Amino acid sequence: MFDLEKAIAEWRQQMLAAGIKTPVPLAELESHLRDEIALQMKSGTNASLAFEIAVQQIGMANMLKDEFEKVDATKVTRTLKQYRAIMVACLGMESLFWATCLLLKVGRFSEITAAQQMSGLAAVAVMILLAGIGLFGHGPANLGRRVRDLICISRGRLLGLLWVWFFCYVTEPVGFLFILPRFDGGPLWIMLPPAGVLFGFIGGLEKAALKKTAMAAS
Amino acid sequence: MIRKELVAASAEPLILSLLAKGESYGYAIIQEVKARSGGKLQWTDGMLYPVLHRMEHRGLIKSRWAESETGRKRKYYSLKKDGKTAMAKHQEQWSLVHGVLSGLRKERYV
Repeated sequence: MFDLEKAIAEWRQQMLAAGIKTPVPLAELESHLRDEIALQMKSGTNASLAFEIAVQQIGMANMLKDEFEKVDATKVTRTLKQYRAIMVACLGMESLFWATCLLLKVGRFSEITAAQQMSGLAAVAVMILLAGIGLFGHGPANLGRRVRDLICISRGRLLGLLWVWFFCYVTEPVGFLFILPRFDGGPLWIMLPPAGVLFGFIGGLEKAALKKTAMAAS
Repeated sequence: MIRKELVAASAEPLILSLLAKGESYGYAIIQEVKARSGGKLQWTDGMLYPVLHRMEHRGLIKSRWAESETGRKRKYYSLKKDGKTAMAKHQEQWSLVHGVLSGLRKERYV
């Protein structure tokens, strides 16, 4: 005797084995399957045949999986665009911050000469350049996931530390902790280009990883 | 039967136009398209869902799970503001294509 619930459970297993995710979209596909079975049975078809017709109409598991993967690829591409926009915005804010400090001679920059001012602005420009190369160039996509994760985690902490250090250096709220001379151009050249490299390298790394995922899914 | 390329290209405008009438779910959308096209416009049923999901990710439609009259859960889709704009664009473009084709046909047979 044909057991409809058992047949649906087996169909679910086939879908799961093919890689259709649960609860969505599998629950949605099952709802569709049950609607079609109900319609077929209402018109007099027996349960077994109604099930077969419904399964045939809904399509092969592998074919469906491919289509859903394309949807995932669209999501990754969208994330990639958002991610790049965030990175560019962060870089823009950081550059603007340093350029403003230098041009308006804020905090430790209060006594800088015109040459030191130019030198500081050049350091900011180098940071933008280095970050841009990484963000818009080709990143090392073939690194292992664990290595990527490790680098990405350290990115946040290192950038955070850099920000705190520089903020304190410029505004001097706890100046006694930083036994540094007043600005002579050196500190920015020591810190900003490496920050640019870090920004660009990590940005490029994540961008390449996202691209790789998108390509694998398309 | 209509060619699959045309079926694929018409999926989004048809879904948007159907949802403009009100909230609906996958199975009902397929049934309505079948009925309105006299069975000539047929999708592989399961293929509708990736299209719906893609449209949802693009912000054209939104969805919610609700209980149906049979007590089972169903995912209902409805149009968002961007969806309405996209629908208007689609209708404009399809009308243009239809207008060009009609014009050419008239010239040929007059």
